[in-house]
Amino acid sequence: MLNAIDKQVLKEVADLEGIPKGAYNIRKNGELLDRKVSANINIETNEKGDGIIIDIKPGTKNESVHIPVILSQAGLHDTVYNTFIIGEDADVTIIAGCGIHCGGKESEGHSGIHEFQIKAGAKVKYVEKHIALGEGTGRRILNPTTKVFMAENAQVEMELTQLGGVDEAKRFNEAKIGAGSVLLITERVMTEGNQTAESRNEIELAGTDSKTNIVSRSVIKGNSTQDFYVNLTASAKCYGHIECDAIIMDNGRNQTVPALRALHPDAELTHEASIGKIANDQLMKLMSLGLDYDAAVSRIIQGFLR
Amino acid sequence: MLELKNISFRTPEPVAGAQSPAARTIIHDLSFTFESGRFYAITGPNGSGKTTLAKLIMGINELTSGKIFFNGSDISKLPIHERSNAGIVYGFQNPARFKGTTFRDLLSIAAGSDDEKILFEIISRVGVCSLDFLDKLVDSKLSGGEIKKIELATVIARNPKVAIYDEPDTGIDLWTIGPMVELLKREQRENKTTTIVVSHNKAFLEAADTLLLIRDGKIGYSGDLAGAVPILEDLSVCTFNELCQGVDNAQCYR
Repeated sequence: MLNAIDKQVLKEVADLEGIPKGAYNIRKNGELLDRKVSANINIETNEKGDGIIIDIKPGTKNESVHIPVILSQAGLHDTVYNTFIIGEDADVTIIAGCGIHCGGKESEGHSGIHEFQIKAGAKVKYVEKHIALGEGTGRRILNPTTKVFMAENAQVEMELTQLGGVDEAKRFNEAKIGAGSVLLITERVMTEGNQTAESRNEIELAGTDSKTNIVSRSVIKGNSTQDFYVNLTASAKCYGHIECDAIIMDNGRNQTVPALRALHPDAELTHEASIGKIANDQLMKLMSLGLDYDAAVSRIIQGFLR
Repeated sequence: MLELKNISFRTPEPVAGAQSPAARTIIHDLSFTFESGRFYAITGPNGSGKTTLAKLIMGINELTSGKIFFNGSDISKLPIHERSNAGIVYGFQNPARFKGTTFRDLLSIAAGSDDEKILFEIISRVGVCSLDFLDKLVDSKLSGGEIKKIELATVIARNPKVAIYDEPDTGIDLWTIGPMVELLKREQRENKTTTIVVSHNKAFLEAADTLLLIRDGKIGYSGDLAGAVPILEDLSVCTFNELCQGVDNAQCYR
């Protein structure tokens, strides 16, 4: 059922060698390829038919859901709206991601909107990888959106990764964090050639003692461009931190705009941002351990994007 | 074995009002031969050129003139990694801090293996780092002492023929300096490592077979510690004499 290209894409976006264990929903070229539900995790197509609803029962522990998307049809621009409902005190891992295999001249794209309703005390790890492969010349476009609504004392860790091949990416992340809840976002993006990537983030620390840490790591090669915007708003006693680092190689261009907005006197917000080439002292250190210049650069980037 | 022949290093220094920058000479026509398997301490006032000298040997700074020979071959033009692979390794005074790179990564690169057994062996041989350091990020959160211990371990993991340590005791607690000196002596004894330590610390000066005193980019003295003491006490070397006000029995090795 999975052809060679599908298998390659699945391996890249979800570290899967084949059909995953546990609940999954595999979408290929705008259609359902395969789905499996478990006792605690239900997946069904939504009423409008433009996406799925993943419903995780309260108290579900140590289970995972894979929802990879494969695109290998030239000219197709796939759009989905998926909703995740994570029940009280559940502890789950969600592996999403989209792999485009472009074999022709026409562009291919995927715009996925993921909405998360995180109930009180739930703990979610969300891993999303985007990749584009193939020899075709068509543009590969990925425009992901995540909307996260967290109740009290929940914890969400999001790892958002795009490590090559995607010509155009426009990301939008929105989150509202309830009392005592923690949201950790790590975004890693590598662009090369003439690729462009933009990430916009609107994060609100809405409840008392809510916390967030937003980390962005960008590597900008060739003539590519990356822009990162984050607006962090605090409407309660809370703690928030933004850390954006961009490494520019070749003629890459970068704009990093972290903004902090405190609407409560007990809000504690900080940010640090840096843009620059690979630090010389790091290169010297690795070369003094025997690596040549190129190997040293690659090791530094590898760590940076880990 | 490691021969510095008439080496000089000049660096451009912008002068207010001048059209072209003036050159400042940091190392001035310096010649010296480090003998295989011996322990050298390099000391001297701040700004005298000690770190520059060490970086010239490693190839981090490029010679303005002169030559460096290592076991008979001219390494003056070799890039850093080739000197490293030839057996010269330098422990930085201010080690680089990374993002996302762990001690395990650095140690694996240094040892040429990521086999955990080998890494554990190196750590226990070094002694001053604990095993739980291994997965620590080598970033700005590490303390000054922790990063210096990691730096030391990465140098030793290379099994260098010539190990250059630039102020290895900076930020290190008093209780670790003794073991650190013993470690370097043991490496010298057991692996015949030619050891060069840039330091102001009495413990390293005493451990050395030969002491080099650098003043104004030249070797002001080379020989044993006893012979160096009168020079080290010389007011022209000491910039701290106002503090001790020349009290006779104050032991000062700066």
